[in-house]
Amino acid sequence: MQDIQAAFLAAFNLIVSLDADLFEIVGLSLTVTLSAVAISCLLGFPLGALLAISRFPGRGMIVVFISSLMGLPPVVVGLTVYLFLSSAGPLGSWQMLYTPTAMIIAQTLLVTPIVAALTRQIIEDLNGEYSELLRSMSARRRDILSTLLWDARYSLITASLAGMGRALAEVGAVMIVGGNINHVTRVMTTAIALETSKGELALALGLGIILVLLSISINAALMSLRTNMERFAYA
Amino acid sequence: MLKLEQLTKVYPTGDKALTDVTLEIPSGQVVALIGPSGAGKSTLIRCINRLVSPSSGKAILDDVELTALGSAGLRRERRRMGMIFQEYALVERLTVMENVLSGRLGYVGFWRSYFRKFPQKDVDEAFRLLDRVGLLAMADKRADELSGGQRQRVGIARALIQDPALLLVDEPTASLDPKTSRQIMRLICELCKERDLAAIINIHDVALAQMFVERVIGLRFGVVQFDGPPEGLTPDVLTTIYGEEDWKETIQKVDEEDLQDVVS
Ligand SMILES: Nc1ncnc2c1ncn2[C@@H]1O[C@H](COP(=O)(O)OP(=O)(O)O)[C@@H](O)[C@H]1O
Ligand SMILES: [Mg+2]
Repeated sequence: MQDIQAAFLAAFNLIVSLDADLFEIVGLSLTVTLSAVAISCLLGFPLGALLAISRFPGRGMIVVFISSLMGLPPVVVGLTVYLFLSSAGPLGSWQMLYTPTAMIIAQTLLVTPIVAALTRQIIEDLNGEYSELLRSMSARRRDILSTLLWDARYSLITASLAGMGRALAEVGAVMIVGGNINHVTRVMTTAIALETSKGELALALGLGIILVLLSISINAALMSLRTNMERFAYA
Repeated sequence: MLKLEQLTKVYPTGDKALTDVTLEIPSGQVVALIGPSGAGKSTLIRCINRLVSPSSGKAILDDVELTALGSAGLRRERRRMGMIFQEYALVERLTVMENVLSGRLGYVGFWRSYFRKFPQKDVDEAFRLLDRVGLLAMADKRADELSGGQRQRVGIARALIQDPALLLVDEPTASLDPKTSRQIMRLICELCKERDLAAIINIHDVALAQMFVERVIGLRFGVVQFDGPPEGLTPDVLTTIYGEEDWKETIQKVDEEDLQDVVS
């Protein structure tokens, strides 16, 4: 009990003193996750929107496939990326294993299905309301896509925040492809796992507190967007 | 001039929504298309602007065979057909002005329209139309702040800014109260007169149709049962269109509502 109290105190000190090691880890976490979310949005928005307004054979299967990818276990994604990037793998010559780039790739694979699946749902709903109107006004396919994406922008932000929540909190994928190397690929979740196993509770707790605060802010942002969106009908 | 020749639509589900519909509508004529729910009214106007592809038959607008157009030609011709919907006819989060200008989408292209780079003459025309439909003061209001009648006026202005040769109107009054319904019908008919526009107005309310148009077409099970002036809608004719019960109910309902209007 004494130890835990001391650890909390130390953790608090690390945070308020803006401890360099701690904020380096937080910074890398945010860089990796934000990059992965940005790439996932670039891929997932158009992919989801295209799926939403297209009808072709096999579409249903793709939709189901993408939805099922939403639940992929991060360790499996990490393992797959590892196999590709390891020196024996097809992309081994790129020498990307144990770099932040590898972590971004792994998280992008985790987040893109979430963004794409939510985007498809959002755009399909909106298209149900707009499609006749837009077609009757001679809008082209790309006009229809961009109108829908633009008009759904608030909902799409919630989709990207949902993806961000998952990426920030996962530990398996970044651990396997990043390797948790100090000052290079150590992020919040992997650091917490390591420091806890070493008994270094202060740093682990400090990171844990920040991680929780970040997820709370993401969820708060999600909630306030939802409330605001009710004023923006159909957002 | 709009010509339909044996227009037929069978949905993939097997529903035969239209059977051999043949008719001509000269420019400047406003036609009310009446019939019970499921008669094929919406299908008919959607076959004309090809939101629905007809199964067979032809639709011809001023010598252009609409039913034979490829996608580029279709886009060009759709500009000449303004459509007014029952509901959801506006982009909710855009302003009234932006909604009206979106009617130019088919002409100016998407990026210009979203970045508000409309030619000045379009903007001027939008103001003129808003003035004409009585919404000039609301130009900067967001569409979701409007009442049902106001939204429908915006829909009318948006259809007109396309500078159409034909107006297709699907149940413009279905979600409006009786008084507003009459105002909207009157406005549509006046505007068609002013602009020498042909129009097809789907409406299930017989009395409302009789009040404003010079020609009524009655549809039942996708087949034209009546085509003539409103005076020709005798009880017998109405019974062939609606069956025994329905039409009497519509008429009675409107009469009561008229009375209420007089009293209030
Ligand atoms: N998209 C569709 N798919 C299958 N059947 C349809 C579709 N739209 C309409 N129908 C059928 O076609 C018939 C005519 O419908 P509709 O044109 O909507 O009539 P109205 O507008 O007069 O109420 C109805 O039997 C309806 O069930
Ligand atoms: Mg209908």
